[in-house]
Amino acid sequence: MRKAGLWGLLCVFFVSEVKAAIVLEEERYDLVEGQTLTVKCPFNIMKYANSQKAWQRLPDGKEPLTLVVTQRPFTRPSEVHMGKFTLKHDPSEAMLQVQMTDLQVTDSGLYRCVIYHPPNDPVVLFHPVRLVVTKGSSDVFTPVIIPITRLTERPILITTKYSPSDTTTTRSLPKPTAVVSSPGLGVTIINGTDADSVSTSSVTISVICGLLSKSLVFIILFIVTKRTFG
Amino acid sequence: MLFACALLALLGLATSCSFIVPRSEWRALPSECSSRLGHPVRYVVISHTAGSFCNSPDSCEQQARNVQHYHKNELGWCDVAYNFLIGEDGHVYEGRGWNIKGDHTGPIWNPMSIGITFMGNFMDRVPAKRALRAALNLLECGVSRGFLRSNYEVKGHRDVQSTLSPGDQLYQVIQSWEHYRE
Repeated sequence: MRKAGLWGLLCVFFVSEVKAAIVLEEERYDLVEGQTLTVKCPFNIMKYANSQKAWQRLPDGKEPLTLVVTQRPFTRPSEVHMGKFTLKHDPSEAMLQVQMTDLQVTDSGLYRCVIYHPPNDPVVLFHPVRLVVTKGSSDVFTPVIIPITRLTERPILITTKYSPSDTTTTRSLPKPTAVVSSPGLGVTIINGTDADSVSTSSVTISVICGLLSKSLVFIILFIVTKRTFG
Repeated sequence: MLFACALLALLGLATSCSFIVPRSEWRALPSECSSRLGHPVRYVVISHTAGSFCNSPDSCEQQARNVQHYHKNELGWCDVAYNFLIGEDGHVYEGRGWNIKGDHTGPIWNPMSIGITFMGNFMDRVPAKRALRAALNLLECGVSRGFLRSNYEVKGHRDVQSTLSPGDQLYQVIQSWEHYRE
């Protein structure tokens, strides 16, 4: 009977491990070069209205790369431009809106909105975004650019109601960026399909790691109880 | 095997939305709203009216009319603000429905969510179990009819706006729902 109880415990460990390791499903956005990605990331107004938020890229097997962050004071609505990235932060509506303009095929990859509060782990908002940018064929359409504003070499940091004094978070850009407004394109994102893929490799790895550590604890406890009562 | 298939088919059929009390039945004033909601919707916002409760079809129909009257005639809105209202008689009352944008939360959330309100004030008590069941049935039928994404998320009104709604006790209940996400 004790053996059955112990196997039951093992089952519980396995189940709890898989539950804990379930990550957010990716949301896939399929866009064409030149289009704009728009992602709306809600956050909990009670917990995170006053927290810093960020848009990050997740390169394969590397540390997340923070691309743009909201600027202080976080309690006021603000808009931050960093090259092709725009963050619109509305703390009273509990929404962070991310835009990536003039998409290129090289922008394809995995991204995420987070609550950015080091040294704590970032809190992922919405879902990880799987962006897939393909080359548009010439006979489909070309974006209507009305007008193009050529910007200077220096990065732009625009915040409303606040003059930025902290410029250490800006990055210098190697080439001028253009703000492209393409009103004729209408909808700028295609909602991800329901059948989105979970990153199974990361789930598997975390499940296995957790299982190994829990099995180790289980084995030690088993030996100790056997010694005490055996 | 055949029995399992039949059972599964029945389950699919079971989630129709015909239990919703339509506007004509609770004698709603006509809607003057025109902004539509795109489907499927990703978010559901749960609120309470913080007003009177009701626990019978007659009193809940009256209460729904009262709320609509307040929104249309006092606040000047095109219709009752909510997409659906839940009475403690255990019924769902059709407000703006699945297709029309509500005015229940704020300018960012209204076009991207379904607003469901519980008629009453739920700071100090939980709604009747039948009311909670009705809300969950509504959400299930919404998914099966394609109005809600299968991975829709439930938010409390206070999660996305500065408000006490849906009340401490109701808020605690919805936090235990499967689709709740803070």
